Amino acid sequence: MTPSDAGGITPADESMDDVDLELLDGIREVFEASDPMPVDLPERIRFRLALRGLEIEVARLVAEDNQPSLAVRGAELSRTITFDSDSLTIMIRIDPNLDGTARVDGWLAPPQRREIEMKTTAESLSVASDEQGRFAFASVPRGMAQLVVRSAESEQSGTGRSVVTPALIL
Amino acid sequence: MDERTPITVRASQTERSERIARLVTAARQGSEAALGEIVTELSPLLWQVARATGLSVSDAEDVLQTVWMRLLDHLDDIHTSASLTAWLVTTTRRQAWRVSAAARRQLPADNEVFSMLPDQGPGSEEQVIIDDQRRILWRAIGRLSARCQELLRIIAFVPRPDYSSVAAELGMPTGSIGPTRGRCLAKLRALLAGDLEGSSQ
Repeated sequence: MTPSDAGGITPADESMDDVDLELLDGIREVFEASDPMPVDLPERIRFRLALRGLEIEVARLVAEDNQPSLAVRGAELSRTITFDSDSLTIMIRIDPNLDGTARVDGWLAPPQRREIEMKTTAESLSVASDEQGRFAFASVPRGMAQLVVRSAESEQSGTGRSVVTPALIL
Repeated sequence: MDERTPITVRASQTERSERIARLVTAARQGSEAALGEIVTELSPLLWQVARATGLSVSDAEDVLQTVWMRLLDHLDDIHTSASLTAWLVTTTRRQAWRVSAAARRQLPADNEVFSMLPDQGPGSEEQVIIDDQRRILWRAIGRLSARCQELLRIIAFVPRPDYSSVAAELGMPTGSIGPTRGRCLAKLRALLAGDLEGSSQ
């Protein structure tokens, strides 16, 4: 059944008094406190939605390794992460920059020229890999990020599908 | 590029409805930012809808992901804030029940009945509800029937102007939602007033 009135005040609304409304506000607060939605969930959903419509391969994380960073003394680690998909292996190394951002160096195997996009919550950065499959992002904001490896523009010969990595925290 | 307007809770309800309708139109035309804003605004409601069915945190997250993906195929049929909210709530609830029914089949029989709320106090985590009033309210909610708990939990998060279409979608057409909602709220009020001494649901 559709509600008979088109978007006005409904009888149901009219029958609620101030105490009811206050009570509902209270119920909302109680559940917000006791069972809050994970704060980053909308962001993760947005990531996924942004990838729709791409013909994609999803890479999976196969290895992660933390090493004390040579670039910055202190607790910060340099991380090496490897992702695998059917057509491609993506390895990245994440190093802290002094300004709080991160440097990301990457390699594709087999080596090839591709367009590499780094999606972050703030912006999308794009670089291209060279024929050795190397690429680098000098400065990436910290937080959630995700790599999309697209076929290189110039080669229309179907150089493989886009590959995306799971979201990772830089 | 990415403009995430903080949700201004104070914005009038009508303004909000108009804004959501505009966002839906923009999203239909492919605006990722608009779609993102809708996700940010309505996910907290859908979270409660999913969790009210007893889903685990990770199952609830999966359900929300699924529902938002599915919305993309239905944007053409949705034009108002009310129909958007109603569609999202119903789809989330249906999907959540499907997932939780599947999960329950895999559990031993004694887990079959789970109560939506723990007996006392907020969840297993931190004691987040500090003030007494809220604690009393929490306990009173816990004494309502499962049906009333779910209904009030959802309704409490639904933007008021969208309320009647959500109610209709929940299988409680305007004719009967009033009494049902009224009964749940009335019972809650009675519990809070200490009137329902020892009476069962």
